[in-house]
Amino acid sequence: MAHRWGMVVDLDSCTGCEACVTACHAENNIPTVGPTEAARGRAMHWLRVERYWEGDFPDVKVKFKPVMCQHCDNAPCEAVCPTYASHQTDEGLNAQVYNRCIGTRYCANACSYNVRFFNFFNPQWEKPLQLQLNPDVSVREVGVMEKCTFCVQRIKAGKTAAKAEDRELKDGDIQPACAQSCPTGSIIFGDLNDHESRAARFTHSPRGTKLLEDEGTAPKVTYLQRQSWNEPDTQ
Amino acid sequence: MTPMDRRRFLKVTAITGTTAALAGCGNPENQIVRFIPEEELVPGIAVWKPSVCPLCAAGCGVIARVMDGEAEVFRKGKPGLTRMGLARKLEGDPAHPLSKGRLCVRGQAAVQVTYHPDRLVAPQRRSGDRGTGQFTEISWEEALSLLTERLDASMAAGSAQIAFLSRPRPGRRHELVAEVLRRLGAPAPVTFEIFDDAVLRHANELSFGRHQLPTLDLAHTRYLVSFGADLLGTWNSPLAHSVAYGAMRHAPGGVRPKFVQVEPRMSQTGASADQWLAVRPGTEGALALGLAHVIMKAGLRAAPAAGRAGALVDGWVSGLPDFTPEAVARETGVPAARVDRLAREFATYGPAVAVIGGAPLAHTNGLAQALAVNALNALVGSIGVEGGTAFMPQSASPQAQARTLRETMAAAPPQVLLLDDANPVFAAPAAWKVTEWLRQVPFIASFGSFIDETSAHADLLLPDHSFLESWVDSAPESGATSFVATVAPPAMRPLYDTRAMPDVLLEAGRRLKQPLTPPMPWQTFEEMLQTAATPESAPTPAATGRPAATPPPTAWRAPVLDGSADEYPFHFLPFASQAFLDGSLAHLPWLQELPDPLTTAMWSSWVEINVRTAEQLGVADGDIVEVTSTAGSLRAPVVISPGIGPDAVAMPVGQGHETFTRYASGRGANPLAILAPIAEPSTGQLAWSATRVKLAKVAEADGSLILFAGATRERPDHTKGRG
Amino acid sequence: MNRTRNNRLADDLVRPLLHTSVWFYGGVLVLASIVACGAAAWAYQLWYGMGVAGVNWPVFWGFYETNFVFWIGISHAGTLISAILRLVNARWRRPVTRCAEVITAFALMIGAIFPIVHLGKPWLFFWVAPYPSSRELWPNFRSPLVWDFFAINTYLIGSLLFLLLPMIPDFALIRDRTTGRRQRIYGALALGWQGTTTQWHRLEAAMQIMAVAIIPVAVSVHTIVSFDFSMVHVPMWHSTIFGPYFVAGAIFSGIAALIIAMAALRRMLKLHAYLHPLHFDNLAKLLLLMSLLWGYFVFSERLTVWYGNVPSEMAVFWATQRGAFAPFYWTMVVCNFVIPVSILSFRRLRTIPGVVLVSCGVVVGMWLERFLIIVPGLSTKQLPYTWGHYAPRPAEVVIMVATFAAMALLYMLFSKFVPIISIWEMKVGNQPHPAVSADEDEERQGLWRARP
Repeated sequence: MAHRWGMVVDLDSCTGCEACVTACHAENNIPTVGPTEAARGRAMHWLRVERYWEGDFPDVKVKFKPVMCQHCDNAPCEAVCPTYASHQTDEGLNAQVYNRCIGTRYCANACSYNVRFFNFFNPQWEKPLQLQLNPDVSVREVGVMEKCTFCVQRIKAGKTAAKAEDRELKDGDIQPACAQSCPTGSIIFGDLNDHESRAARFTHSPRGTKLLEDEGTAPKVTYLQRQSWNEPDTQ
Repeated sequence: MTPMDRRRFLKVTAITGTTAALAGCGNPENQIVRFIPEEELVPGIAVWKPSVCPLCAAGCGVIARVMDGEAEVFRKGKPGLTRMGLARKLEGDPAHPLSKGRLCVRGQAAVQVTYHPDRLVAPQRRSGDRGTGQFTEISWEEALSLLTERLDASMAAGSAQIAFLSRPRPGRRHELVAEVLRRLGAPAPVTFEIFDDAVLRHANELSFGRHQLPTLDLAHTRYLVSFGADLLGTWNSPLAHSVAYGAMRHAPGGVRPKFVQVEPRMSQTGASADQWLAVRPGTEGALALGLAHVIMKAGLRAAPAAGRAGALVDGWVSGLPDFTPEAVARETGVPAARVDRLAREFATYGPAVAVIGGAPLAHTNGLAQALAVNALNALVGSIGVEGGTAFMPQSASPQAQARTLRETMAAAPPQVLLLDDANPVFAAPAAWKVTEWLRQVPFIASFGSFIDETSAHADLLLPDHSFLESWVDSAPESGATSFVATVAPPAMRPLYDTRAMPDVLLEAGRRLKQPLTPPMPWQTFEEMLQTAATPESAPTPAATGRPAATPPPTAWRAPVLDGSADEYPFHFLPFASQAFLDGSLAHLPWLQELPDPLTTAMWSSWVEINVRTAEQLGVADGDIVEVTSTAGSLRAPVVISPGIGPDAVAMPVGQGHETFTRYASGRGANPLAILAPIAEPSTGQLAWSATRVKLAKVAEADGSLILFAGATRERPDHTKGRG
Repeated sequence: MNRTRNNRLADDLVRPLLHTSVWFYGGVLVLASIVACGAAAWAYQLWYGMGVAGVNWPVFWGFYETNFVFWIGISHAGTLISAILRLVNARWRRPVTRCAEVITAFALMIGAIFPIVHLGKPWLFFWVAPYPSSRELWPNFRSPLVWDFFAINTYLIGSLLFLLLPMIPDFALIRDRTTGRRQRIYGALALGWQGTTTQWHRLEAAMQIMAVAIIPVAVSVHTIVSFDFSMVHVPMWHSTIFGPYFVAGAIFSGIAALIIAMAALRRMLKLHAYLHPLHFDNLAKLLLLMSLLWGYFVFSERLTVWYGNVPSEMAVFWATQRGAFAPFYWTMVVCNFVIPVSILSFRRLRTIPGVVLVSCGVVVGMWLERFLIIVPGLSTKQLPYTWGHYAPRPAEVVIMVATFAAMALLYMLFSKFVPIISIWEMKVGNQPHPAVSADEDEERQGLWRARP
């Protein structure tokens, strides 16, 4: 059966440390835009950890939520792209084809999760920071949209390696950069069509929810809700 | 300001740029130099090389993804191009007991150290006045002879007044430095790290006979109470804690462990707590004693169960009569009913463990605070058990013999000061007058890779390799229950004309007029690591070396704060930022652009204030306030935060560098500068959480606060209802 | 007598083509330099990237898209007025039709520039066109932007035909009145028009067909432009009312633009004899009608949103009603509804200056309306963490101002080379209907004369 890549994020163990954010930058050649452009709202965090406060001091809570491209089955971004730059692959990934993108930014408007980012300028790396760039990931040019790809380069590499070694892909062989780095192991990636995989099993967890489920986008990222301690805290 | 940085950088790129451009012209006389590759790597195929991340004390093992690439390098002082293996990305080493294949945000950013545009590429000698940042490039020969000359002079003068300043980092590197200094006749190395938990080590030595930070077994604990320790963010061994915390949350068995965080300001760690208790700063120890009181009063445990740790706390043997829940509520602000309930849970749901670290110990009563928590742990029997707290086996730590910077500054100024990974001009309060002290030192040499506020005062720069280009080692004092010493060879060849600090010291040692006696057993650091770091050299589980007599019990008292409450109405709570820790990582662009976990601020400094405080001051997010203590003042934009009370303000540490590469220089404000020079008496450690401040609005928002996020609530007020 | 009148008509309307005042040259110079500034701003943006504009994450659309919708909206006046008035045979339309059709043509052309300007890679704009490409891909026909491509091009071709066809007899007239190079050029443009009966029949037939056909095209164009917004789930974009709302708004802004253009022409080319207060009065009544219709649509939409109380929509609602966008919102309401209804409801106030003032307000108000549709919604989407702000930057403002200058410039140049009032149609208007006696016709004519 074809693969269907999906992800589960356990909000109960996510500590908001943002290791995933920087791991993603390092893996995917995401440009650092600098303070002037960041102030103009052009920072490109493909994966961000959303933070929401609840309550007021001293009865406050903080909720952390890592949000990346949800690789929706009914992706609103795919319908509106005039050049098929945003399209779904047969493994369920929402692919962004940089060479087809003409930069209308319509997909970014259509995305309710706001996970798409635009290259407002040609990315710059002050020498020799460019020596760090990952050769497996293209460097995008000005005018092109980009977003989380579920580390498609790692998926390809994993599949290639399995084929070369003449074996099946096992659950856990392919880890996007965020999942690999997450210290608490809160990001779980896998093949949703492999019912034994952790990702597939956790997708059906009773704690599982989808982000903006009512939008009907059918995202492939399941969020496991945070739990509370079993005794009610009445004091 | 350091015009040298830019000039140097421009000079380097001009050389390589020009040669590259001329190469295009095909003029044979000006062909770009292409060095013969020193290794063969298949392009596009990665090899993984182990290393150790040096950015904090945890000493986590990493693996570097090394791939073929073309780099502009310096070989024998000449620039040119070569194909070489370049580290592209770091991951946690799956085989490492601390990182277990994971890596924290700072570890991920660490690779940028090697490729930083402002890295020093060759030795430099000061060419202008001290502190102006004017340096000229020299050869290693000249650099070594300058260094050796000074060392010779200092030794000839009698007692070699040579001070080696670095961070407290147990391991072979530090050992080598100590050995060299000993043979030079110089005093022990000096260590300085503003957030170092010296108070906790001292308390642990008193309570348990171990001068060491604790190792928590979070993976198996069922009840964790953290008194102000940002253990999932920046404290002690945050990666190892986080890995274990993940295991704790994912533990099968259907019983959910409880995590309680007690602190005056919601930290990133506190955000993960099941229960968050706001407490008055510096009173965490009172709460711990309150818990112990309830436990003992309810008969859940008896006082002698806490053994020596309990005996060190005044009033313990009589059941801590002064720490009733009501009294504790008055002292700490935590409601009495909560104290009672927390205590009962802590004693019932085992294994339970309490931990204290960071700000609660940075008070005049820091020792008593730590002793209180130690006693609490001992009371419920969490020492040395699964799910509790323990001490990592360790070889004799040279840092136990290290001197503090304060001690060093109090004595006669050294003749020679060697700087390695320490920036006290930035990280110590202005009241310590470190800059003035530096002026009294005749010769300063720095091994750092960057020019920062402290090395800007150096006379000689002897840039070390970056960690990925070096032999590295770590032997951390906490993070696992077995002894972990990590040794790794370089993951890649050096880019520039840099040299490993230990090798420079060894070479200097060989060039001295008076040879080192006895001679050093190793010629290079590599040799030391190859020979010394064997399984045989691991320590045996340490016997709990108890000091001769039990010291008299310490009474918990409320902390003494600097500044009167009338004039300085707010507790000032600086905290180690997730991105920069104590500011030593502010030069890494990924970390500057990282949105702070709680405020989402990037490239910014800020002051967290309560909404009522904001109303009093008449400020909104981004407006500039002046924060004034008895020791100084600073200006920064505000962020209104629900996570802090109306009697306190908090500020992240890390920005406010005057000199620290293009990414950090001239950005934001440094809260450490305005701290009052108030110390914890038993260790002399700066009580960095004991300063009071006053605030005043000075300007409207000027764009210096850069937030990534828009709203802070999932249902902002104006989306609710029809108005 | 008719011949004399007709000759004077032709003289008056051809004179601007033959005689150029220094004001003309001055005006062209000023406008052309503003347009050049706009071109320079665009070149700057092409060189450095879209980052020189103010758009960001999450407000990815701003001034350029506002201007796009605005100019396409303006383009609705001409053809709709012209076509509808033709179909109902309203005689007072005659001096107005070409002015209106010209607005359409140029507004469309200017509006069609913006989809190119707003692209991240504008040199690839042609990828929205369906042609067999080496990428072996057709454009994504599900995308409203591709619908825009077809709709706007269809409308552009249609409007140009609608404009150019009736210009043929006038070109012939000018050819017959001029000599030398002018005669050759206008002769070529006249396409051999001799004014034979057959040719007149063909022309009239063609005009009838175009008038009928252009109306649904015009309605569909702005509906499709509205689909750019209503098809996606941005709060307060995803509304079923957008189609009719945009068309109504387009007609509204178009009429206002037409009134301003006519008033300007009347003064500058001294066309007082041909553009009477009656024309402005009639257009003002249409403007009032559209203002009421606009107010109805806005009220209907906002009441529905407010009553529905959906949180993501309420964020946008309050942002426009009371929040950061409130000043713009209330200005828009005043310009689009309060002022037009107050002034245009009273005959006494429907003077030419009054009507022009109201029209200027409507142009501003309608521009604000486009802005307020686009930006507040994008600033406050479903995830509050991602809320952001937008502020225009110089490149966007310069290009916007340049388009207004371009419109004026094109208009000026057009009126220099083509009679701005259709001469032959005016003559036809002066001619008695063959089926009616001369006296009856005089009487009927009297009914249409300007009233005091």
